Amino acid sequence: MNKVIEAINVCKTFGEQRVSKNIDLAVSQGNIYGLLGPNGAGKTTLIRMLSTITQPDSGEILFKGEPLKEIHAQQMGYMPEERGLYKKMTVADQLLFFAELRGLSTKDAKASVKHWLQRLDMMDWARKKVEEISKGMAQKVQFVSCVLHNPQLLILDEPFSGFDPVNADLIKDLIIELKNQGTSIIFSTHRMDNVESLCDHLAIIHQGEKVLDGGVSDIRRKYAKGIYEVGYYQSVQWNAGMSAAGESTLISEQQQSDGKVVYRFQTSESFTPEQLLKLAMGKGNLVHFSEHVPSIHEIFVDTVSKTAEPKTGVPIPDKLEKSNLITI
Amino acid sequence: MKNIFVIFKREYLTRVKNKTFIIMTFLAPLLMVGFYAATIYIATETGDDDRTKTVYVSDNNPELLLSHNPPANYVLLPAPSDSDSALAHVERGLVHAWLNVEDRDLRSVDSATYYTSETPSITEKETLKEWIRNKATQRQFARLGLREGQIDSLQSSCNLATKEVTGQGDVKESSSGLKSGIGFALAFMIYIFIFVYGSMVMRSAMEEKTNRIVEVIVSSVKPFDLMMGKILGVAAVGLTQFVAWIVLAVGLVFGISALFLNSGNGTTTREAVQTGIEARNGMGGMDTGSGTSSGAAVSMGGDMSAQGSGMTSGARDMAAEFTEPLSNLPYFQILAVFLLFFIGGYLLYSSFFAAIGSAVNQESDVQQFMMPVTLPLVFGFVIAQTVALKAPHGAMAKLFSMIPLTSPIVMVVRAPFGVPLSELALSFGLLVLTFVLMVWLSGRIYRIGILSYGKKPTWKDLWKWLR
Repeated sequence: MNKVIEAINVCKTFGEQRVSKNIDLAVSQGNIYGLLGPNGAGKTTLIRMLSTITQPDSGEILFKGEPLKEIHAQQMGYMPEERGLYKKMTVADQLLFFAELRGLSTKDAKASVKHWLQRLDMMDWARKKVEEISKGMAQKVQFVSCVLHNPQLLILDEPFSGFDPVNADLIKDLIIELKNQGTSIIFSTHRMDNVESLCDHLAIIHQGEKVLDGGVSDIRRKYAKGIYEVGYYQSVQWNAGMSAAGESTLISEQQQSDGKVVYRFQTSESFTPEQLLKLAMGKGNLVHFSEHVPSIHEIFVDTVSKTAEPKTGVPIPDKLEKSNLITI
Repeated sequence: MKNIFVIFKREYLTRVKNKTFIIMTFLAPLLMVGFYAATIYIATETGDDDRTKTVYVSDNNPELLLSHNPPANYVLLPAPSDSDSALAHVERGLVHAWLNVEDRDLRSVDSATYYTSETPSITEKETLKEWIRNKATQRQFARLGLREGQIDSLQSSCNLATKEVTGQGDVKESSSGLKSGIGFALAFMIYIFIFVYGSMVMRSAMEEKTNRIVEVIVSSVKPFDLMMGKILGVAAVGLTQFVAWIVLAVGLVFGISALFLNSGNGTTTREAVQTGIEARNGMGGMDTGSGTSSGAAVSMGGDMSAQGSGMTSGARDMAAEFTEPLSNLPYFQILAVFLLFFIGGYLLYSSFFAAIGSAVNQESDVQQFMMPVTLPLVFGFVIAQTVALKAPHGAMAKLFSMIPLTSPIVMVVRAPFGVPLSELALSFGLLVLTFVLMVWLSGRIYRIGILSYGKKPTWKDLWKWLR
């Protein structure tokens, strides 16, 4: 697939601090690329380099195969984490200004502004000053200001921060629509809830380094560790050494809000999911059986804590103490 | 280049379309006229101490002091013979003061004492001193046997006319007062414009930074282009306002003269305008000529044109003195120097203002950086008021009209007096060079400043950003 933007071995240093260390990434056309990382990981610095605001100290950034130049910024839309609008300008004038800044002629800019205002049902607000409209409305204006010029690459830094759930859903739908039209999107966040549903590909940045990179489904598959869940509407008794065919280890028991009790087992190579299913069916009225694939959140916490100081690590299932485990 | 224009357009249109701007453009001249008119009224009509003061005068020879007209608002009474009761009366408020003239024959009045319960003003002191001196002088003349009429005829007067010898062998009427007035008014305008519009650039940079708009903008515009677009846009706003005022002033003058024409007092429009102009410049010339070169006084002269036809005949005579010099002024040079140095000075200073606006996070942080920027401007204005007006061709005036930080103000003061083209070219060249250098340096600060949030910046930070 065509690569819209590609960073090769990019480094950036501020004073003594290395904020980007040998970062490689590539965003394909029509893909949503999730850039994850805790606060201060260096995401914004990387994004500023990709959007031509700053230049890397070393390494190379290519836009559609060409070395990145300022002129390419006109094919990009950028919504920074910290964002604002001119309070005294009207919605229409403001959007017109941003469209012209992104290289549209006045005529095209006017047409685009009209199209987007109609699309979001905001025509009645066009002549209002930003200080006179609601915050939710201003958030929509903010988003529109980044996509008016039909960019090939849209960079969204924490796009949902400060958005109410209704507007967040609206923006999410717009992002998917843009992706379907072939726009590539870099989506930076430290909140995982939207990543799984939106992103095709993700990279985790931590302390200026890329610590994980790959397709979202590939990564989740890679992190699946043969853990299966079985659930009943009542508690069941598990006895050790019940199976002759191999062994599985009960690693957690959880009472869910819908009344289900879910048991999580770590299977081994000699104990197949089919065997576990058979065993579980014999235990009572089985209502739930599934493989547990770790969420992006779990993978993120796992990855970040592995590279962080030992004390800050968050315990994850495979680190549970052995004494609490029942093997069946 | 296109982006500079987009930024320029936004800066210009948002300001010019603003209701406050439109109202102020029309209201500011009226407010200014009102302000100066009020100041003049207060100074001339109500500024004096108009209480009637009863003053004891120790005068053992009634012919000498008490027999003469007392100064205005003074009632003079012979003082009691003993000083204790005179002082007691002053203390109890029975009389305003006691003037004790030691030499009661007024042969050589070198000491007199004025006892009051309140400290007299300088005017009061001067009035009395002058009055005693006059009486003593008259007394001396009388001793020599001269009558009052003869004394007056002995007072010589001199009217020093100034003519300028131009390069083409012409001799033209010239007027130092008029030139000082015009030069000073223009310098004052540059001074105010740089401050007003420079701060506008600064606030605009700050608004974009504090409202977090700037990051979106710099992803499509180079910070330098953003800064230049902003500086030029605001400059255009200033020029628009300037042109609006000129149109307004011309409109007012013609409007008023039309009024005179309609009122049927026999004055033609042309004459009415002429009288207005003459009177206006007469006033300006008078004020600066007497050394009280305050901006208010000069501008007052300019704003009083409406009252031209109501001037006293004395002022009319004086006004006539300026008719020819007015037509002899090197208008083109004055206007060219004003425009070039106004633009150069504004661009130089507004780049500083832009850099400050980009560096700070909030209005309260501005102060620490403002001082070094405003100091040369204020200094230039002080030089313009003193050195450049008194000796426009002197070494100091020449020096400060070359230094780019002060030249925009000092050079326009010198311009009406005629400045050699070589000096103008050198000064403007230096201004442009400095402007280019400073815009480049400010651009470096701006580039990093606008994206730096958090702690209050220090001079050290600015230096780091520069490098």
